Amino acid sequence: MNEPVTTTSATERARKRAAMAFTALIMLPLLVLSQQTPAPTVQPTAGAPATASAQPRAAGGLGYEKTVPVIAAGQWTGKRLADGQPDVSGDWSNTIANHNNFTDPQGGIPGDPQARGRQLGPREERAPSRVSDPADGELPYLPWAREKQHEFQVGFFLNTKPEYIEPLARCAPAGIPKSFYWHGYEIRQYPGYILFLFNSGSRIIYLDNQKHLPQNIKLWNGDSRGHWEGNTLVVDVSNLNAKARLGRTGDFTTENVHVVERFIFQNDNKRYNYVATFEDPDAFSRPFTVTIPARRWSVEDKTNGWHYEVPLANNPGKPPQGDHFERICVENNGGFGRVAVSAGNTGDKPK
Amino acid sequence: MKLQSLARGAALVLAALASLLLAAAPTWASDGASNPAKIPRLSSGKPDFSGIWETTSAADYDLEPHGSRKDAPPGPGIVEGNEIPYTPEALAKKQKNFAARDVSDPRLKCWTLGTPRGIYYPEPFQILQRTQDLTVYFEFGDSVRTIHTDGTLHPIETDHEFWLGDSRGHWEGDTLVVDVRDFNDQTWLSRVGDFHDEAFHIVERWKLVDANTIDYKATIEDPGVYTRPWNIEVYLYRHREKNFELIENYCYTLDYDSYYPYPKQ
Repeated sequence: MNEPVTTTSATERARKRAAMAFTALIMLPLLVLSQQTPAPTVQPTAGAPATASAQPRAAGGLGYEKTVPVIAAGQWTGKRLADGQPDVSGDWSNTIANHNNFTDPQGGIPGDPQARGRQLGPREERAPSRVSDPADGELPYLPWAREKQHEFQVGFFLNTKPEYIEPLARCAPAGIPKSFYWHGYEIRQYPGYILFLFNSGSRIIYLDNQKHLPQNIKLWNGDSRGHWEGNTLVVDVSNLNAKARLGRTGDFTTENVHVVERFIFQNDNKRYNYVATFEDPDAFSRPFTVTIPARRWSVEDKTNGWHYEVPLANNPGKPPQGDHFERICVENNGGFGRVAVSAGNTGDKPK
Repeated sequence: MKLQSLARGAALVLAALASLLLAAAPTWASDGASNPAKIPRLSSGKPDFSGIWETTSAADYDLEPHGSRKDAPPGPGIVEGNEIPYTPEALAKKQKNFAARDVSDPRLKCWTLGTPRGIYYPEPFQILQRTQDLTVYFEFGDSVRTIHTDGTLHPIETDHEFWLGDSRGHWEGDTLVVDVRDFNDQTWLSRVGDFHDEAFHIVERWKLVDANTIDYKATIEDPGVYTRPWNIEVYLYRHREKNFELIENYCYTLDYDSYYPYPKQ
């Protein structure tokens, strides 16, 4: 932020927390490496997600999976809320990787000077691209847009322009679709609404069949109008400001992008796949589809610093249940921002 | 004759009763009592606060009674007894804050307004309610507060230093009583520099006066800042305009918004 933060015990503690989060962030790839399980049964392909065990992996740990389960759109046979919606409320997190790399999610950030000599094996040993269509897993950029993406990717480590600092590092909302692979998140449901509470930002999905807001209004998380089709929540997203990046690989869309999201829930309510179609003719030669697998997290998983940032509630004598604290990033700006800018810089002026 | 006089007597009694009722009615209204049948309720029978709410008061400009200023419309204040009972040292700090309000008010950076300021800040918030909790979604900054009504207690650890406090609610009849504590010292209570420190503690009382009006009361204490607990009361009105909804407002991004023009060819 522009204002220097006054030094108080509260801010110092906030900074300490931010610094811890920063450390956790740096450590994460190492943890992932050390905890990766041997390659599961079926090898994924980009176009058609491969069948994997539909059961979530063992509770706890920060490990990631390498395959995307198949979850068919169809009937919902699970629990329902009083208003008839499938009851999918609770805590969720993606199962593949964080935002480091959009199309090679477990491949690290290309050009990362802090890669610590980590050797990547063959591409097929890692999770598939989040781009499930086209089949090659690549974003179908127009030439100018590919050039721009590459500039952002290289610039991420250069800090020579303010726009190279990823907005999320300044506590901006992670946007769409990055919110779905940036920490765990909570879904709350109400008659007429679904609320997503992310680590950075929140989204209200309106189940009202109303038109989108006028197009002059542009939003970090866009304007979301949804409805249920059996086990699938279908959300039409417009009015995106296209300022959020898709990953540290610099991938982006323009503000004329139109997204149709399908949240396809497995009937045992333990998993869902986020399958979203992006249309953005200003930057891409054809529409593309993004697939992000997610699974439910609960008290059996134990709190961790990433997928499930949910402490146990103070509830003596009753069964354990998760508690939900406020998630506020902006005032703690500085710590995480230094991933992208030099230490001591508040994030406003690149050095 | 007898019958006539009886009828006349009955009519007189009725008239007297009616005038009593008429006289009493305004008293009920001014007491803020509500007809329990006329407020929205959840299937559990508890009052349903779901909806989009906003103050019409000038409380955020100044909680105490104040005349017109260049930067504030006048207002009768919402503090019981009119004055916030600051200690002398705290009053001096408040006055320093007041002098620097054009630059120091955290609102100007779009930092989370905190509790109770978000409630009477002149921008709408939405309540989304389930049996186990109320989610208070503030348009300003898109900050989200959860009021837990599932019987859970404040966390055992008390040094989270939340911006909005930790909120645990319970029902006393149709009143939602919320205990809010574990704050940081970063938020202000108004534009004139009213402040608190980390011992800040609030007990809120939320009550529907009618289907479209919330009577919001709060008792505020903080022994290092105020000489005694003090009370505020403000009404919140339901937005009933057709298709009214919150518009995303991550206003803290506006300071760096210009760095991120969406890429163009």
